[in-house]
Amino acid sequence: MSIDVNSRAAQPIAPVSRAAAKKRSPMATLGRTLQYAALVTVVLTAIVPMYWIVVNAIRPDSEIAAYPPTIFPKELTFKHFIDLFEVYGFQQYLTNSLIVSSIATVVALVFGIMAAYAMSRFEFKGVRAVGELSLLAYLLPPILVLVPITQILFGNGLGDNRAALAVLYVATLLPFALWILRSYFSGLGIDTEEAAMIDGCTRFGAFIRVVLPQTLPGIASTAIFTFNAAWSEYLFASTLMTSNEKLPANPAVFLLMGHMGTESWGLLMAAALTIILPVMILFFMAQKWLVAGLTEGAVKG
Amino acid sequence: MAYLLISPALVLILVFAVYPFIVAVINSFNLVDINTGMKTPVGLENYVAIFADANTRDSFFRSISWTTSNMILQVVLGVAVAMLLNLNLKGQRIARVLVLIPYMVPAIVAALVFRFMFNDVTGVVNYVLMKVGFIDQPLNWLSDPAMMMPTLVAVNVWKYSPFFIIVVLARLQSIPKDLFEAVAIDGGGWWHRFTAVTLPSIIPVVLAGMLLRTIWTAYDFDVPYLLSNGGGPSGSAVTVPLQIRALAFDQQQLGQASALAVCTAILLTGAAYFYLRGYRKSEKASE
Repeated sequence: MSIDVNSRAAQPIAPVSRAAAKKRSPMATLGRTLQYAALVTVVLTAIVPMYWIVVNAIRPDSEIAAYPPTIFPKELTFKHFIDLFEVYGFQQYLTNSLIVSSIATVVALVFGIMAAYAMSRFEFKGVRAVGELSLLAYLLPPILVLVPITQILFGNGLGDNRAALAVLYVATLLPFALWILRSYFSGLGIDTEEAAMIDGCTRFGAFIRVVLPQTLPGIASTAIFTFNAAWSEYLFASTLMTSNEKLPANPAVFLLMGHMGTESWGLLMAAALTIILPVMILFFMAQKWLVAGLTEGAVKG
Repeated sequence: MAYLLISPALVLILVFAVYPFIVAVINSFNLVDINTGMKTPVGLENYVAIFADANTRDSFFRSISWTTSNMILQVVLGVAVAMLLNLNLKGQRIARVLVLIPYMVPAIVAALVFRFMFNDVTGVVNYVLMKVGFIDQPLNWLSDPAMMMPTLVAVNVWKYSPFFIIVVLARLQSIPKDLFEAVAIDGGGWWHRFTAVTLPSIIPVVLAGMLLRTIWTAYDFDVPYLLSNGGGPSGSAVTVPLQIRALAFDQQQLGQASALAVCTAILLTGAAYFYLRGYRKSEKASE
């Protein structure tokens, strides 16, 4: 679609430029006010639950149980965290989560980068089939394969095994990583890479020196999504881990919730805070890349 | 070389996605002993059993209303908020980051905090709603079977709308400004700009997003299970994924669980096919 330049010049005061004018009509001011009110409502809806977690994790039970509830804490305490770690040994579950998620993320990324790079750079038989297979695997909901995977793992003596859980996570996260990374590699021109190889780099050298630095933001955002997915996983972890001390943090919290009454909300909020903290730190550090990664994955996936 | 690079990924996908899915299909035609793994062929018996089971039928219709209400609300809210965040308001950069937070929150944490906030008696949500005057007495968000689904949908919409917000916002920002100006010059107002420029540009991404999210919402286990504490009062939160798990692990009917999984997989493949067709059409139309 193109615009006739002359017609634009002939009508300099187009309605869209009205907002730029210094003087605003009362209606426009009202409109702006409503827009800001909507913006504030939307942001509050998104973050108030997070605020409620933080506030109730750090105030004493007496204040949590008080009715009517108070919005701001009057007194601060670390009691819930001390209980969480010293009485309930929550660090064990966090460690399980950290180990399983980190291993799954690193391995899924390495395999994902290898496969995505191959698929974007080499012409070979079956490249299309592998791409479609990975898309199908990406779409495949975990609950569909929960029963067979449980059978297969337990049948081979791999039930209740943290390494097996990590490998399973690698398998479920790989298609996503593969799909996103592939579009990053494809979007990158092949010229600089070829130039490096002409200058004497091996293909691997060219990959490390030329391709990797340029796709680092994409790789970082893929890493964070992968880590978050593994860190948040509940279904497989709760089904496959039968002994409590091997549970990752997510299903462990559900155990905690099941064992206790409403008096322990402070403790549960402390547990919730320790679970979201690493994810939130990563998120704020890399939010710029994440938005790009999410859009990439959604539109092209 | 290419095959070497691709083989680890391929092997993992075959072992953990393709093979289990084939096992699920085989299971669905067998009576499977949960302890020994012994299979006895029973033909279509598992399929007959799940169609005859009132609980399974209920879970199926619950899943349909769960998925459609989620999709409608998430798309409408996603588009509306994306347009709001595209208005050049002050503070919108930080707002864009903050509205994404629910998407990153693990289901267990969302379940925990909303069970706390939606508590029938002591919850802050009832208190605030009464204080403001929206309701006269506390609502039984999590204990009234009729309220269970709306509560679940509300929380799920909170958690997953950011996906549509970000996808639509990205597309909105890529629309050339001249297109809006052209409509304005032709004398078109806000509504005309929306229907002539905004809507046609975002429909392809919304459809693509819906394809992904419909499948995952229909099969979402975590939010319904964790928020309803495993099924809700009188099973009012039991959607198909919860029923699959209940059939498999509580009633030890692995064959029936697999049959239910296969049935819904077929339905969703059909839905995916129609989405893809619509998506390709609108892609072509917008080119």
